[in-house]
Amino acid sequence: MSKTASGRTQWEIPQGAPVQGLQPTGSPPPVQHTKRRQYAAGQTQAYYGADGLADPTFAGGAQQQPVAGGQLFTPGLVGEHQFQAQQGQQPGQPAYYQPGQEPEYINGPAYGQPPQPAYAQAPIDALAGQFGQMGMGGQKQFQLYTTNLLTSPPEPRELYRPPPEIRLPPNSCISPSPLANSDPSYKRSTLNAIPTTASLLSKAKVPLALVITPYRSLKEGEEPVPLVTDTVIARCRRCRTYINPYVQFIDGGNRWRCCMCNMSNEVPQLFDWDQVRNQPGDRWARAELNHSVIEFVAPTEYMVRPPQPAVYVFLIDVSHTAVQSGMVATATRTILENLDRIPDEDQRTKVAVICYDVSLYFFSLPPGSTDPTMLVVSDIDDVFLPKPTDLLVNLAEARTTLESLLGRINDMFQENSIVGSAMGPALQAGFKLMSPIGGKILVLSSSLPSVGAGALKNREDPKILGTAKESGLLQAASPFYKTFAIECSRAHVSVDMFLFSAGYTDVASLACLPHYTSGQTYYYPAFNAARSEDALKFAHELGEVLAMPIMLEAVMRVRASRGLRMASFHGNFFVRSTDLLAMPAVPQDQSYAIEIQIDESITTPFVVFQTAVLHTTCYGERRIRVITLALPTTTNLSEVYASADQVALATLFANKAVERALTHKLEDSRDYIFQKLVDILVSYKASMTSGGAGASAQLAISENLKMLPVLVLGLLKNVGIRQSAQIPPDIRAYSQSLLTSLPSQLLIPYIYPTFYSLHNMPPEAGTVGENGIILPPALPLTSERLERHGLFLIEDGQTIFLYVGRDAVPQLIMDVFNLPSYEVLRGGKTTLPVLENAFSQRVNAVIQKTRESRRGVYYPHLYVVKDDGEPPLRLWALSALIQDRADVLPSYQQFVSSLKDKVNGIGGGY
Amino acid sequence: MGAAWLFLFAVFMAGALLFGMIFFIVNFSDLESDYLNPVDLCNKLNKLVVPENAVHGSLAILFLLSGQWVAFALNAPLVAYNVNKIINKQHTYDATEIFRTIDKHKKQCFIKAGFYLFCFFYYLYRMIAALVAESQ
Repeated sequence: MSKTASGRTQWEIPQGAPVQGLQPTGSPPPVQHTKRRQYAAGQTQAYYGADGLADPTFAGGAQQQPVAGGQLFTPGLVGEHQFQAQQGQQPGQPAYYQPGQEPEYINGPAYGQPPQPAYAQAPIDALAGQFGQMGMGGQKQFQLYTTNLLTSPPEPRELYRPPPEIRLPPNSCISPSPLANSDPSYKRSTLNAIPTTASLLSKAKVPLALVITPYRSLKEGEEPVPLVTDTVIARCRRCRTYINPYVQFIDGGNRWRCCMCNMSNEVPQLFDWDQVRNQPGDRWARAELNHSVIEFVAPTEYMVRPPQPAVYVFLIDVSHTAVQSGMVATATRTILENLDRIPDEDQRTKVAVICYDVSLYFFSLPPGSTDPTMLVVSDIDDVFLPKPTDLLVNLAEARTTLESLLGRINDMFQENSIVGSAMGPALQAGFKLMSPIGGKILVLSSSLPSVGAGALKNREDPKILGTAKESGLLQAASPFYKTFAIECSRAHVSVDMFLFSAGYTDVASLACLPHYTSGQTYYYPAFNAARSEDALKFAHELGEVLAMPIMLEAVMRVRASRGLRMASFHGNFFVRSTDLLAMPAVPQDQSYAIEIQIDESITTPFVVFQTAVLHTTCYGERRIRVITLALPTTTNLSEVYASADQVALATLFANKAVERALTHKLEDSRDYIFQKLVDILVSYKASMTSGGAGASAQLAISENLKMLPVLVLGLLKNVGIRQSAQIPPDIRAYSQSLLTSLPSQLLIPYIYPTFYSLHNMPPEAGTVGENGIILPPALPLTSERLERHGLFLIEDGQTIFLYVGRDAVPQLIMDVFNLPSYEVLRGGKTTLPVLENAFSQRVNAVIQKTRESRRGVYYPHLYVVKDDGEPPLRLWALSALIQDRADVLPSYQQFVSSLKDKVNGIGGGY
Repeated sequence: MGAAWLFLFAVFMAGALLFGMIFFIVNFSDLESDYLNPVDLCNKLNKLVVPENAVHGSLAILFLLSGQWVAFALNAPLVAYNVNKIINKQHTYDATEIFRTIDKHKKQCFIKAGFYLFCFFYYLYRMIAALVAESQ
């Protein structure tokens, strides 16, 4: 056993000396670690013992008694003395309905913050509770608070709350660091307490799944992911789990026990050696034992070949329509302006530009020259590269040539009158060019591919919209896009689609390529660069995509404790083997959902999920990003409900709904999601309320799932899923691709938009506060809140509507739009002027903040919607108010009452 | 005489189809246990799907032409099923969806294998019956 500089033995927890600032001040010293070797037995006993004591009535259910004040009754809580007291204090009304508490909350950075104490009566002492309870022997129970959906309307602020706290049993984590468990923005589970058996899970009816965003963007002020540079990577010999804060050190610290399979492994020799300073290091300060999200620099064993450089191949449509819409000019200018932002720290990044209409135009860019040569290939049946070199060039070396080319492309094709698109052959050419290396293809297309491989037909048929055949339009029309996607995936090529079209462009087929190669589809219907808003949006998004650091040549695998199995995967990737996801280039802020099955009953007090992404950074370093999430297990149904995360559930449902819409019918998909919700409510009512199986005047759900019905309603009303015969298949397909790839933070506003009232916002809203610009309080999405003299903002992450009431006073119009009166104001896409008055600046600040606060590259259009303006625009804006009744779609009240009927067994759809 | 030869041929064909199905099943379990990647699997199996259906179909047609009504009736549903799949272009395995659909495919292969096994013995029985009938 080696000695550290401080004279302590290696494996001892430092008692007095804090671990390099990781220990939060004020937290008790982790005395319990001295008993670590008895951990498993003692802990299990403590855990189950506490469980059994605190919940004597659940199994028996004999002591059920009506509780005064609260109509809803939760058997799991009878033993708790607090319950009655709480009921007495606040009959029915949770604390946060009191208006006094709101502004602070809204403006807190949404996800990833320590839980705010405002969370109902739940006895959460945030992190203090989590760590403070260590050594107390018992574990606090999840408190289940039942709400009646019929009497408590949805409250948008609920969605900003962090998910139910993860309460690990004491001693499970060897690090006192608050970062030892994964942040929900990286990885969140639909249940924060995992049922120990499959039967308990199926009884609860709440699906178990993980929502993972392994490569999310970092906002200013966020800590970067810690990096382990010494290539000492301790992994379990049997299950290949990476060492993490939930393992146990045994045998005098010379071995560690895997937290997933219990295998005892040797600690690598250099684990306690500080290679930078070449001296013995402090094991407890190692990042992998203190952080749940870390990156390892991978040694050569993790490489099949030396790390590849980043490669960007631009395929630019230069047909007549593309040039006329101004797409080519905007795109080339944006690329030119963003050449500096393309990740190229080690000067290895390669770039190629191929233009196409019905022929392919290659550009030879010899380094040093300023004169690019154009090479035309019109044989598109058998694509070949006209020149072996200088087509794919080093960005730094060929910079001048590239600049002069990008400056000239638009002029070159200005007079092009050719209509048609050989996108398939262009893709093949680009693929040929880069397939030895891999990288990213960015396709900019303005028309439906019409010649060569992958040619598509216009199959849009208004007659079949809204019928059972509609889902056919959402599937790929040509097998080319699937087979080509597989080829791309094998060669580590990812495809991003930028689609601009006035007419039908078959987004459903084209989106297949990004879908299986971990790219992303961007769609700009009726793009016209003459409108500065269109050009700005596209330029912003393309610029962000170019500037975004990407993970190349990535594979992702999720491991879990014994008994748990990753059953099905949703998102943009190719499933290469039962649990290995191939992702040629991982963009930031792309989310994946993985459903989990419980194969055998779990005996451990907590389980661990570990996601590992082996990837090459865009500056040529092979790395492994590891994200560890530990969750407690439970045998108690009420804990399962109390720990459910409605945001993760909604994200999973969005993925399931889209999958269902493609394999079955859109109608089936809606029924399926509705049925899932009904199942949860039925099961909750039967097991958690006194109503049992009989009819009940209430519709009960736990407090933490209160927003689930409205999120499901939002999903059912989303363009991707909604029942309608009016939605063009392109719009549907695009929306579906968003539903399956957006991270929760963007997806939730996408199905439940935010709604602000601006004309009467509180005086501090729109000004700079502690956490940046203060936003006004979000309103529930119902048109009851619209006032005839008001100004409102509705935002779903993709579009922003500024809704102007018809009786808006001229002063308001003057202040915001610099126009004399409401009559002069025009509806439609706008850029809001920044005027010399406080109100205009505050409105602009609010819009700016909403644009910035969302993750992802999207730059929402701003539409001015007049109360009596064009009906389609007005209807579109009002369709975002999902709690209203629209056409055949129910209002929230109708939805909830149909849920109630269904739960009481009366039947009927939603 | 004809019937005996026909059924002798059918016995061999049924045996071949049976082995074909077992080959499919083995490949699927290889995929599940990670010995094979989905792209290779689909390339390998998709080449065999149409020949398998064709062999089965031609056998059925042979029964029809030679007036073996019972044997034809036995095979007709499967022929119809296969034809329907080919017309709807659903006969090939899709590498991108294979893990989502593998259970279904495996079940299908097991049922087919069982059916071919049954056919094998049925044809054998009919062959012997035909030989016995001839010798009497």
